[in-house]
Amino acid sequence: MNILLKHIEYPGSTELKGYCESGGYKALSKALDMKPADIVNEVRRSGLRGRGGAGFPTGMKWTIASMDPKKPKYIICNADEGEPGTFKDRPILEKNPHLLIEGMAVSAYAIQAEYGYIYLRGEYPQAKEIVEKAIKDAYSAGYLGDNILGKGFKFHLFVYFGAGAYICGEETAMIESLEGKRGQPRIKPPFPVNEGFLAKPTVINNVETFANIPHIVEIGADAYLKIGSPESPGPKLFSVSGSVNKPGVYELPMGTTLREIIYGHCGGIKNGKELKAVIPGGVSTPIMTADKIDCPMDFVSLPRYGSMLGSGGIIVFDETADLLKVCLRIMEFFDHESCGKCTPCREGVGWLVAVLRRMSTGSGNPGDIELLTEISKNILGKCFCALGDGAAMVVQGFLNNFRSEMEAGIGGQQ
Amino acid sequence: MITVTINGKKIALNKPVTILEAARKADIYIPTLCNHPMLEPFGGCRLCLVEIEKMPKLQASCTQYVTDGMTVWTETEKVLEARRAMLEFLLINHPLDCPYCDKAGECDLQDSTMQCGPAIGRFKEGKRKLPECYDDPIIVTNMERCILCSRCVRMCSDVQGAHAITITNRGSKSCVEPFSGGRFDCEYCGNCITVCPVGSLMSRLHKHTYRPWYIEKEIETVCSFCGVGCSFVAQIRGDSIVRVEPRPDLGLNKGLLCVKGRFGFDYTASPSRLKSPLLQKNGDLKQTTWAEALSHTAGKLKEIKEKYGPAAIGAVASGLCTNEDNYTLQRFMRSVVGSNNIDSTTGFFYGPAQRFLEDIFGQGVTLNPMQGIANSDGVFVIGADPSAVAPVLGLQVRAASRKGIPVVTVGHMPGLKRFATCSLVPDAFSEPALLNRLISGLMKKRPVCGENEFFEGAIKKFMLSTGDDIADPCGLSNNDIERAVNELDLMTNPAVLIGRQVVQRSDASVLLLQLSVLTYLLNGRIYLISELPNDQGLVDMGCRPDMLPGGRPVFSDSMRKRYEDSYGSEIPSAQGMSLMEMIQAAHEGNLKALYVMGENLLPDLPDTGYVKEALSKLELLVVQDTLMNETAELAHVVLPACSWPEAEGSYTNFEGRMQHVRKAVHGEAMEGWKIISEVAKIIGSDFGFLTVVDILAELTKVSPIHKGITYAEMDGGKCLWPYNGEPLRDSAKDFALPDITLLKRAKDCGRPYLFADQQLFHSGTIGRNSSALSMLMPASYVKVGNALSEKKSIQAGDVAGIASGIKSAELDVIIDPDLKGMMVLIPNILADKGVMSFMKWNMNPDFKNPALDGNEIEISKLRSKAEEVSA
Amino acid sequence: MKGPLENGTLKSVPECGEKETALMPALYTAQKEHGWMSIEAMEAVAGALDIPKARVKGFATFYDMFGKKPVGRHVVRLCTNVSCILSGSEELLLRLRDKFGIAPDETTPDGRFSLVAMECIGACGTAPAMLVDNDFYEDLTTENIFSILEKYK
Repeated sequence: MNILLKHIEYPGSTELKGYCESGGYKALSKALDMKPADIVNEVRRSGLRGRGGAGFPTGMKWTIASMDPKKPKYIICNADEGEPGTFKDRPILEKNPHLLIEGMAVSAYAIQAEYGYIYLRGEYPQAKEIVEKAIKDAYSAGYLGDNILGKGFKFHLFVYFGAGAYICGEETAMIESLEGKRGQPRIKPPFPVNEGFLAKPTVINNVETFANIPHIVEIGADAYLKIGSPESPGPKLFSVSGSVNKPGVYELPMGTTLREIIYGHCGGIKNGKELKAVIPGGVSTPIMTADKIDCPMDFVSLPRYGSMLGSGGIIVFDETADLLKVCLRIMEFFDHESCGKCTPCREGVGWLVAVLRRMSTGSGNPGDIELLTEISKNILGKCFCALGDGAAMVVQGFLNNFRSEMEAGIGGQQ
Repeated sequence: MITVTINGKKIALNKPVTILEAARKADIYIPTLCNHPMLEPFGGCRLCLVEIEKMPKLQASCTQYVTDGMTVWTETEKVLEARRAMLEFLLINHPLDCPYCDKAGECDLQDSTMQCGPAIGRFKEGKRKLPECYDDPIIVTNMERCILCSRCVRMCSDVQGAHAITITNRGSKSCVEPFSGGRFDCEYCGNCITVCPVGSLMSRLHKHTYRPWYIEKEIETVCSFCGVGCSFVAQIRGDSIVRVEPRPDLGLNKGLLCVKGRFGFDYTASPSRLKSPLLQKNGDLKQTTWAEALSHTAGKLKEIKEKYGPAAIGAVASGLCTNEDNYTLQRFMRSVVGSNNIDSTTGFFYGPAQRFLEDIFGQGVTLNPMQGIANSDGVFVIGADPSAVAPVLGLQVRAASRKGIPVVTVGHMPGLKRFATCSLVPDAFSEPALLNRLISGLMKKRPVCGENEFFEGAIKKFMLSTGDDIADPCGLSNNDIERAVNELDLMTNPAVLIGRQVVQRSDASVLLLQLSVLTYLLNGRIYLISELPNDQGLVDMGCRPDMLPGGRPVFSDSMRKRYEDSYGSEIPSAQGMSLMEMIQAAHEGNLKALYVMGENLLPDLPDTGYVKEALSKLELLVVQDTLMNETAELAHVVLPACSWPEAEGSYTNFEGRMQHVRKAVHGEAMEGWKIISEVAKIIGSDFGFLTVVDILAELTKVSPIHKGITYAEMDGGKCLWPYNGEPLRDSAKDFALPDITLLKRAKDCGRPYLFADQQLFHSGTIGRNSSALSMLMPASYVKVGNALSEKKSIQAGDVAGIASGIKSAELDVIIDPDLKGMMVLIPNILADKGVMSFMKWNMNPDFKNPALDGNEIEISKLRSKAEEVSA
Repeated sequence: MKGPLENGTLKSVPECGEKETALMPALYTAQKEHGWMSIEAMEAVAGALDIPKARVKGFATFYDMFGKKPVGRHVVRLCTNVSCILSGSEELLLRLRDKFGIAPDETTPDGRFSLVAMECIGACGTAPAMLVDNDFYEDLTTENIFSILEKYK
């Protein structure tokens, strides 16, 4: 299946010419002949859920934004893919930029947005060049501009290059950043769909979400619903890294099991080692033990296995992995990326790092496991946004699933 | 109606508020740190988490709004545990140096920890280490104590609009910093200090000098610096003011202060403070007794009156003095001396401007409540930068701007630069041409409505006669002017703020008429930017040569009779001399005695040399003041008066709000009104004033507008114009149109011309006696724009020579890129290099005030700073 | 440096944005010209965009890509997050230290390289990975990393 990774089937589709030859921009042309409300409706019926991590129904977001009378409306592509283990948007940005542009143009038409931004993470300079060139080409070919395809629709698209702040993946923090402010999340409500960028209705979707749109418009919601699982329809990009033979980005139907991904598509564990643990959806999703890999990868199944789909960034650990060190490294990441706005995230995560750091050298104090449990409990559910809560859940995941390995960090026990 | 249940208590609300607000209404305590009544909700500290039924997670009560039927619990084990958790987190990096920290005893973190914190912290690693920073002269920062609530930054950017501090870095490495990292180089309002919940931002002035529990008493009083009249609490220990504190629920400033109000009060403890009377003997001022000083004053005055007549005696009142002092001085001049020769520097701008506008629109037209500015739908400012000379008034304009309300400014206004939607800086002296274009542009968009036929007739006549100037470019593009007209046309009931510079010039009456027309067309409300705490009170107390107390004209027989009957003496019907007329008369030898109360004439009047000559010719110069100053040095008698915190009284601010100034500390001097009463008594007239209550009682009896006012009424904060009195409601049916030939634009001859720089950090003599304010702005300077800097090859930091024909001096150069053309600005900080000492003046024929236009000066580079250092 | 900023950055302000939208690209331009986010660079940006200086500082210091101190001619940003660690980026850090004598956040005495230990740079499938200036390198080994760096003088 190559709906999102079009370039695999049509290697020339990275360029405008090849993209058009492989059927590109047909969805845009079709969409511009439809009523905007009908497109919103079609997306709603398709059951498409946001691919950034939270899985919010895209159609619902669009409906609210399109009902808001304020003008102009904005559409923002979240290309701030910053979560360790996640690199699924890169092939779209680098190999299929026109798919994203077409998806955004269709979406903009659907909610009648005049302006769009691609908030691209600062660590992707090569993607910036590619997307900027694609936008330029799309302008020249009339797929962007004041009168798109001569059908009277105006949409302008810009690349906004981020500068290295994971928190800007949070949509209100992204808006703040776009407005030239420190990327700290805003109080919600009001939600961006009503008061987003410059206090105007703003739809923010992930790269992959936008990339699904042309296909939905082309084949219709009914056909789209046949892909994937009933509660999580559509194709999904999984980025697999760590100790597998064939890491990379795979486009598979929602609901494909972890086992199939790891042992089927990725060719099993490197060097014939045993699987020890999997992080299924980027480092903010709780780690899972090896016995749970029959879990289908979709929004509803993973919570039943004690984790979350997240971004679909799968990290595979073999038997040799030092999970205490991994846990520490992940907490260091959250500590580094905390925006500092709220107390539990700013202070609590730093404390987790301090405790894990002494444990990682084997000099943890008796009671540190309980302390970690307490701290994470005191963080969880009390933060301003999901970043701190995520950090707490991750520690709890390690403590719940790999307690003995964590206990090895307590000095007295060695 | 919304009903919410908190801890089982039903609370009915008219509109949705946050849970925190609802709880506070019901006296339910929820601890908070990042929340502050003057700031928008933030939701960062997470200390105010509460449990809401049907919601799985705890919610921040400061950001969560109530909904009808919501049930909230604030004291459940889950909530208490969360509070302990948040405080344990906050104390991880907090140094717990409470014995050393000046905030101890009034620290929100300390208090919250006492009430809801954990018994012990479990964090074992080292705390963050950041040295206390003393780079700034006024503000000391201690970032170890900072809990990153961001209240200071939000205050600085969202309320003060200064954007001087920010949070730098991210996460646990975050810090609060000014741009430089050290010195704040800001407006020094200190409002960040007010909102800091811990000891991270503190005033250096009180560093390690006391603890909150050492405060012996707290006195609510009113600031003595400008005409806004901010309220604060003076905290007293050992008979001196330790600190002044604004409160969010106090006065019209509602918790805000400016640099002068917050830090400048130490002028009252200046070494120049006068403590005993001085008498000139053999050319030197010598300490003397009150009895001798008073009898000498009385004797000389009596003698001069008998010898030369009452018209040879004059008095100078002061907007720095209370209503009670000013009323008593007026009473003295009118009933004891029998002269209308009473005026003050308030007569340079505030008095005549108000009189002119009241003649057109009726008494009290400029007295409008301050909050009306932020709540209006437009703001027009001309003549002064309110954010410099009346800073809390300036904040109202900034607040309006933040709401998206159009703000049009005319003239160089650095403090409003980022807040004006349209900032017009015309060529010098071409304001009349600009206003004409704005008026004619506006009249095309909204024709006059016929409401005031007389005035509309005058408008038409006036516009006809000035038609030639329509095309005058005034140094602006047609586009700029058109845009301004469009902005103005958006306004339906704007605030029109008028400052000093439109009146201290030859064509003042033209400008004021134009501003009246503009206000009329815009349906605006006028505010006069008052620079002294009691400009309005001084006028109301009758300290004007043509006005009796209560704004009654002295030429009106019926009005005069009312006062004559009360005072039991005759008041001359002719108007007295204005301040500059008195100086002229003294110079010509016609004025023989001058009683100066609270004004420092030498630095505050133009052409210091001339004023000095004039004063030296007097047979009697009495200076009644609180501080030794240049004028007092020339006096025959110096009478030390109680300073602002040492006596009871009242001020009337620019809104017409009478406010109670309370005695906070004891002084060695005598109350100002008492000194005058004593002199009167010796001359043979007993006013019967034993306390200020007696003065207020007499005022409320004789002045038709001040009927029945009491200090208790002032304390309620509701003593607002027109009080319970009888204002003169009639507006004039006839007034002379100003001489329109004046409208011909002053020629810009390409030579530098001098203006007074409006200083935020200083306010004349009292400001420079504050050591705090002097630290911020220790020396005078000259400010030039890019054009002049290039023309004269003058760089920032150079030393320039300034010569005006009557005065020359050397000053350090500051380049202000926003300064237009050949404008040169000098502040009036230091007497010997103050701007007024360079200024030549002409008597404005309409207002008898000094017109200061036409001050062309020479400026040249003497040497660069670098040369000075190497030499 | 005010000139190029005014001419370069302000032109790239998107038509639909407020002037604040230009802050990020303006800082990139300033950093390109100046190497890092010095007080002067931030002052120039604030002046060019008419944004309060402190706001510029608060913004610039929030984001990792803006240097807080002077850097060498080339900035090596080596990813050190989970997937790269699993594939040996810690070993690479040690090798870089041995060869160039620098730890993360340090610059070689000759001013050639500055080293930054990065959070994830989105190359987990081809780990370990690094950015040298604006060039992306993946599948690094203890051998090829030095031949790559050889190109940067």
